Amino acid sequence: MKENWPKIVGFLLLLAAVLAVPHFLQFHHQDLLIFLVINVLVVTSYRLVTLTGEWSLIHAVMMGVGGYTATLLFRGFELGMWFTLPLAGLVAAAIAALLCFPLFRMTQFYFLIGSFAAGEAIRLCWIEFIIPFGGTGGLSGVEPPFVFDIDFLEPIPYYYLTLAIVGLCLLILYRIENSRIGLTLHSVHWKAPLAESVGVDTWRYRALAFIVGSFFVGVAGGLKVHYLGTINPNQFGIGFMVFILIWVIVGGYNRFYGPILGVVVLTLFDESIRQFEEFRPAIYGAVLILSILFLPKGLESIPARLRSWAGGGSDREKGKLTDG
Amino acid sequence: MDNPILEIDSVTKRFGGLTALNEVNFSVKAGEIRGLIGPNGAGKSTMFKNIAGFYTPTSGDIRYQGRSISGLKPHSIAEMGIVRTFQETTLFQELTVFENVLVGCHKHARINLFAAIFGLDRARQTAAAQKVEEVLEFMGLADRRHQLAAELPLGSQRALAIAIALASEPKLMLMDEPFAGMNPEETNHMMDLTRRVQESGITIVLVEHDMKAVMGLCGYLTVLNFGQLLAEGTPEEVRNDKRVIDAYLGGAA
Amino acid sequence: MELFFLSIINGLIQGGFFALFAVGLVLIFGVMGVVNFAHGELVMVGAYTIWLVHAQHGVAYIPTLILAILVVTGVGLLMERFLFRPTRNDPLAGLICSIGVLFILQVIATLVGGEGPSKQVPPPFHGTLVLFEFLRIPYQRLFGLGISVLALATLWYFLTRTRLGWALRAVALDREAAALQGINITRISVIAIGVGAALAGLAGGLMAPLTNINPHMGHNVIITAFIVTIVGGVGSLSGAVYAAVLYALFHTFVTVYFGGTVATICGLILMVVVLIVRPTGIMGVRVSE
Repeated sequence: MKENWPKIVGFLLLLAAVLAVPHFLQFHHQDLLIFLVINVLVVTSYRLVTLTGEWSLIHAVMMGVGGYTATLLFRGFELGMWFTLPLAGLVAAAIAALLCFPLFRMTQFYFLIGSFAAGEAIRLCWIEFIIPFGGTGGLSGVEPPFVFDIDFLEPIPYYYLTLAIVGLCLLILYRIENSRIGLTLHSVHWKAPLAESVGVDTWRYRALAFIVGSFFVGVAGGLKVHYLGTINPNQFGIGFMVFILIWVIVGGYNRFYGPILGVVVLTLFDESIRQFEEFRPAIYGAVLILSILFLPKGLESIPARLRSWAGGGSDREKGKLTDG
Repeated sequence: MDNPILEIDSVTKRFGGLTALNEVNFSVKAGEIRGLIGPNGAGKSTMFKNIAGFYTPTSGDIRYQGRSISGLKPHSIAEMGIVRTFQETTLFQELTVFENVLVGCHKHARINLFAAIFGLDRARQTAAAQKVEEVLEFMGLADRRHQLAAELPLGSQRALAIAIALASEPKLMLMDEPFAGMNPEETNHMMDLTRRVQESGITIVLVEHDMKAVMGLCGYLTVLNFGQLLAEGTPEEVRNDKRVIDAYLGGAA
Repeated sequence: MELFFLSIINGLIQGGFFALFAVGLVLIFGVMGVVNFAHGELVMVGAYTIWLVHAQHGVAYIPTLILAILVVTGVGLLMERFLFRPTRNDPLAGLICSIGVLFILQVIATLVGGEGPSKQVPPPFHGTLVLFEFLRIPYQRLFGLGISVLALATLWYFLTRTRLGWALRAVALDREAAALQGINITRISVIAIGVGAALAGLAGGLMAPLTNINPHMGHNVIITAFIVTIVGGVGSLSGAVYAAVLYALFHTFVTVYFGGTVATICGLILMVVVLIVRPTGIMGVRVSE
């Protein structure tokens, strides 16, 4: 137990900082903080999908599925957020489960393109079918809950609510990854034939990661729409998908906290380049390229790199995104 | 002992116009070490992939304990007790030795999502960990349990490959060239290990080019050439079979 | 009736353009193993060159078209040298780099052309060919179709009748075997991306007078290219050409009768269906393991 003390102290300090931070920020930054916490869930759930080695391009659209589900349930049935959030996750998971049948007949490049196509088809449906999805303009009028005189429309209460929900989701995702299931997902990624030869049904595990990842990003979509109040198809296009990729890759996807590091650092970075509004996509593009070329394992690999420069230790993970 | 554990019944495998296996028949008795030999391109690996479910035979049937298994998925066949080891050092390079073998326990230790999230199913996971320790001890890898697979010397990597297979508690093990690239000392060690696996009650089919190992281990040999069954017999018989000698010399020339 | 024939002609012309950029994408993927997500932006750069040099500065159309090809080829070669070559062993890294390029090119286009509505380029060729009373084709479109066919024919000649073309196809079939034969993979990669980018530049230059030019026009291009590539069979150049023409006809007709979004949805569904039923596409070769 003794060696765990620094970790526990570190965790408590982090928790205190996370709880205190909105009180030191302006209104606009409090907004961004909420979206940052939601995006942490987006990237962490994406990491679960990538654990089997498949890079999907449908994750952003799955977030939209959750968002639209929450919106339609709220507007149509006046369901509160306590119901819309789990249902948002479940609907995203259900659609993911259906998509497993076509998508997991493919791997690697084909899966990437197939998932992109499926996602784009769903997104274009939101544009085309104005009833019920509202077309290009989307839908609005979604509200956060109002409990015991606490108005969650205010950023600080909603921040704490988001933090609690995202925290719970992260804990679940962490437990899955560090269980036997995580080990099996890993084995499917690196040596699928070997895993199959000892009885691992690789299709099922790919599907499992995809469905569970979609569930959590669906929840994230619900969280977002309840705060933002509006939703439209362009929020979940390939642009946002690319941001997810950038966060995960720049942060590093070999460890649980890599993508979280990526989204936090890049959001701070994003704030610092606000005055160069029109250059922003290009700056992101450059950051993506530079990190692929010079830091292929992401920010999280920096401490290990420093250590190996100092001590000449061995590198544990491969720097390659694809296997052989 | 009369009931064969594995029956290959006129199995043919074609790829486009190429016939890799042509009407091959043989059967393997429970408990033996069977050698499957032949020159390069004879169809030995193709045969393994057909048995293990990575390929489906174009025609013919493969029966395991009397049940047809051709066309089943690899994981279902593994589930029934057939495990395959791979030609190269196919391991989970970035996992530790312990974790590698733990993956091998999949059949007995898999858990569902909720058990994973809520930490249920401790007993089964503890049992799996014990099984891993047993297998590591058996294969002489216990000292290396925390090393990464990628860092092991060749001999230990091959031993680990067998350990992963053993952890799945198979009845029939298909070993694909476990001796390739080994020095004499490693070969001797590997031969001991293979015998111990057999003594623990597992039937072995061995594809191997190292004739010393094949002749030393196998009680009975099946020889393939150009996708066809060329000869069968004891090592002594096969060694003196003119057709086999011609096939090997022809292949070498 | 008139609409029907016009749709066929327009579909064929679209098919020519689709084929130009899809073939380039297939070529780059086949030889280098990289999915070039920025391929649509290469087309966009071609179109912008026409807008900037021809429409804004009054240089004649044909020389500008050649300039557009050169500019886009240059961009492609830079990508090869600085992005795809260093990440050669990792196709996904190459893909992600190309997404980075996509953003950068979009921003450059915005800076060059400014924000605001899409740009239009007045057609440099006037007049209409009247074949029958019900069939009139503007010369501009006829020119586009003619040049597309010419370019594809030249490419076909290059790939099947020259040594270099043979080498290129050998690398696409089996890179390791080709390397063992003494083929210089780096050189072939440079040629593949050079040809692919040149075709994209040509497509952009030919489309410029017929379409709306804006920094995000590459999005539709890449979706179309993916559909055509998958339906035609990844790695099959002739498949891509057939699929381009078929898909263009299909897309034109569905657009005429149901609207553009429905057409794209149908195309995407078609692509997923092809991926399920026949992952190697209509012309793809099933590679034995």
